[in-house]
Amino acid sequence: MEINSRAVRAWSMMGQTGQFGVIMNELAKCNENFCVVTADLCQFSGLERFCQEHPERFYNVGIAEQNMIGVSAGIASEGINVFAASYGSFVATRALDQVRISMSYMKLPIKLIGLTAGFSAGILGPTHMALEDVAIMRTLPDITIISPADCTEAYKCLEAVMEYDRPVYIRLTGSARAPIVYSEDYNYEIGKAIYLKEGKDVCILASGSMVFTSLQAAGELEASGISASVVDIHTIKPIDKSIAAIMAKHRLTVTVEEHSVVGGIGDAVAELAMKEGLPIRIMKIGAEGSYPHGAGYTTLLYRSGLTKESITQRIKAAIEK
Amino acid sequence: MTNLEKYNKAFETGLELTEEMINSELEYQKIESWDSVGHMSLIAELEEAFGIMMDTDDIIDFSSYTKGMEILKKYGVEL
Repeated sequence: MEINSRAVRAWSMMGQTGQFGVIMNELAKCNENFCVVTADLCQFSGLERFCQEHPERFYNVGIAEQNMIGVSAGIASEGINVFAASYGSFVATRALDQVRISMSYMKLPIKLIGLTAGFSAGILGPTHMALEDVAIMRTLPDITIISPADCTEAYKCLEAVMEYDRPVYIRLTGSARAPIVYSEDYNYEIGKAIYLKEGKDVCILASGSMVFTSLQAAGELEASGISASVVDIHTIKPIDKSIAAIMAKHRLTVTVEEHSVVGGIGDAVAELAMKEGLPIRIMKIGAEGSYPHGAGYTTLLYRSGLTKESITQRIKAAIEK
Repeated sequence: MTNLEKYNKAFETGLELTEEMINSELEYQKIESWDSVGHMSLIAELEEAFGIMMDTDDIIDFSSYTKGMEILKKYGVEL
């Protein structure tokens, strides 16, 4: 499929979750060997057309995430590519045993999609906030974890995993009208971080929705005389070890994620720094403390300090220490 | 290209219709291609064509060809 401004804008309108089914339908035009299983999130995840045009490749198991993984495992064991999609919060917690056994232990190459990861379904309350999904998935061996920065990257990622014969968890963050990081086609490779902006003082490593916010914060920092690099860590596990060299060149490394500061990319980066023996300062920015009450997406980001203003302020304070 | 031509072109491209299929009777969910996905494509086309960004309420209210004309007036687009 051609990635043009029209497609990028339409995807952005839908957001990563709404775009998922649309991409499945696009990819179905040139790939017959895959199917989609959902736990009652057909229209919600843009699967309406896929369901109508490819009914033989679409399975809605109802609100039964554990069964969704079981069914997907059966399909995968027959050598068919399978995408299983439900709320990120549910696939990482309710279906954890099934994910652990079928994907991690048995290594069945299920493509597990965590919809509305982070705060984007937060209006429904903490039950629907996926703030620990990366932490949980990171502990499971042999599962690749990806969090696209925007809808263009979500497309690139879904296209790439079509040929990826390993279990993978893709967390889709952000809401509709998602900001655009990649306005045109580019080279995407699972496991290879993307150096978006080169700076000298601070190295910001971000994933998912926070890539765009970090770019904004980097712009604000520049205005204050602080030069910041920004790196898109779309693949959280395995993490790209080459970022160690980038981190080493800066006075401060900052990780930004729409996820708990425990167990997410902040910890993945800290572990990498430790393994590489890097004598660097790391600051983790993400969700901290108790679960917030349900609220709109932007309100939750604001309350969690995941705005460009808050990130800028924290980095300025840290670098001036 | 006049604003009306741009408007019709957005319907053609966004909803994958031919020129002959564009008329004032078009309504959301009344034709196969104007489903929730088609709706987002249509809005994206309109925003690009007129250089505007529509409010969420207006995107939801955009329920027909004629209603859309009324909504676009709010953004200074006369058809």
